[in-house]
Amino acid sequence: MTVRMGFVIITSRCIDCDACMVACRAENDVPIGKTRNWVKSSGVQGEFPKVKEVFQPGNCMHCDHPPCVSVCPTGASQKRPDGIVIVETSKCIGCKYCLTACPYDARFANPETGKADKCTFCLQRLEQGLKPACVQTCLGKSRQAGDLNDPESVVAKLLAKYPSRQLLTYVGTGPNIYYIDDVVPEIPEGN
Amino acid sequence: MEITWGILIVIYLFTAGVSAGAMITSNLALLLGGNDFERVSRWGAFISPFPISLGLGVLLLDLGSPFNFYRLFMTLQVRSPMSYGSWAILLFTLLSVVYLYLWLPQKFQIIGETKSLEQWKKRLAKVIPFLSVGVASYTGLLLNAAARPLWTAPLLPVLFLVSALSTGAATVILFSALSPWQRARHRELQLLTKADALLIVLECFILLVMIVMGRLSSLSIAEAYGSMIYGQFAMIFWFLIVGLGLIVPFSLEYLELKEKISVRWTLPVTIGSSFLVLFGGFFVRYIITFAGQWSRWF
Repeated sequence: MTVRMGFVIITSRCIDCDACMVACRAENDVPIGKTRNWVKSSGVQGEFPKVKEVFQPGNCMHCDHPPCVSVCPTGASQKRPDGIVIVETSKCIGCKYCLTACPYDARFANPETGKADKCTFCLQRLEQGLKPACVQTCLGKSRQAGDLNDPESVVAKLLAKYPSRQLLTYVGTGPNIYYIDDVVPEIPEGN
Repeated sequence: MEITWGILIVIYLFTAGVSAGAMITSNLALLLGGNDFERVSRWGAFISPFPISLGLGVLLLDLGSPFNFYRLFMTLQVRSPMSYGSWAILLFTLLSVVYLYLWLPQKFQIIGETKSLEQWKKRLAKVIPFLSVGVASYTGLLLNAAARPLWTAPLLPVLFLVSALSTGAATVILFSALSPWQRARHRELQLLTKADALLIVLECFILLVMIVMGRLSSLSIAEAYGSMIYGQFAMIFWFLIVGLGLIVPFSLEYLELKEKISVRWTLPVTIGSSFLVLFGGFFVRYIITFAGQWSRWF
């Protein structure tokens, strides 16, 4: 089966430390004021004394049908055969069409280059057999990444065991970040 | 939500529409009206290349990497409206300059004979309208392709086309009524005004259908249209677009056509109504661009 790279994010394990954002910035030289990933808060839910707050980390969903790729006028936005969505910077003219087309607002205009910028799945790390920086650094082990089609991968094992949800599926993008809200006591071993 | 496409994009959307509209006005006046509508055809031809050129300049300024713009013309991405749109506006702008040249007085012509000149004008006038319709409406498809709730409306290209025709015709009215040289005759203005009034009615109808369809649609889309009719864009929508941009110019044009306006006031009313049509057309682009980016899925 073809490789389909994606993320599994366990919201119950996120403590909103924002280390993923710091690690991404350090690894990829993301300019201050912009970010390739984020942690969103649900705000306080419920009523005292039964209150809770859920954190939902995110980044580019590396969609199956990425609108950012189809709208790109120069072919700079591409979906690789392994599913990772990238920008070939030399071809990007900075029209910002992809920014408006992304329903997750996962892209930004890099103020230094004027071009579209986004999560690259840390390609430079994948080539060395490492996990993306945000996954590596996540102290709650909330962020997991890998080949969703490989049954031996951590992400596939998690998805086989726990119910998951994706964001804005009705927009038709086919996002490849799966969220698990259940309590996950143990992260399975895997690729 | 951060606004990625700002006022520069609005200016481009507006100017491209004016150019395409003025071009179609000129082409139709030449093909259907002949000599009786010569002034209107000529003014349409004279106006057409300029707004879109301004728009293209502004568009270039908006690029994050403007020196890379040539990349647009090294490929054709069939799924990207911006890609085929770029080719269309390039071709349109070039042809509009050729068309303008053919309308210049005899002494500037290198082709020579008046007869072959007329033939070329007519040939171009038969081809360019298709391109003009493309230039006026692809911007709607362009927004359709970006997955934003407000921009999912299938009528968006039609709205932009009708608004382009209306603003284009209004620009031709404005110039041909004001100019001391080649000033339009009463009959020309009368017909053009009638066409413009009809386009305004059509535009109102399209806006109405869009809003009703949007409000009956999913929550995100209903909310997006809500921002236009009672949310933070309501002032712009009701006051600047519906009021000053549609109802007032329509009423003025209606009174003009019914000859309820004294001769002394005819010119100011003509100028006022066509200016307001342009004003409204600009804010139609503004509200679609801004409210569209403000709208989000939930």
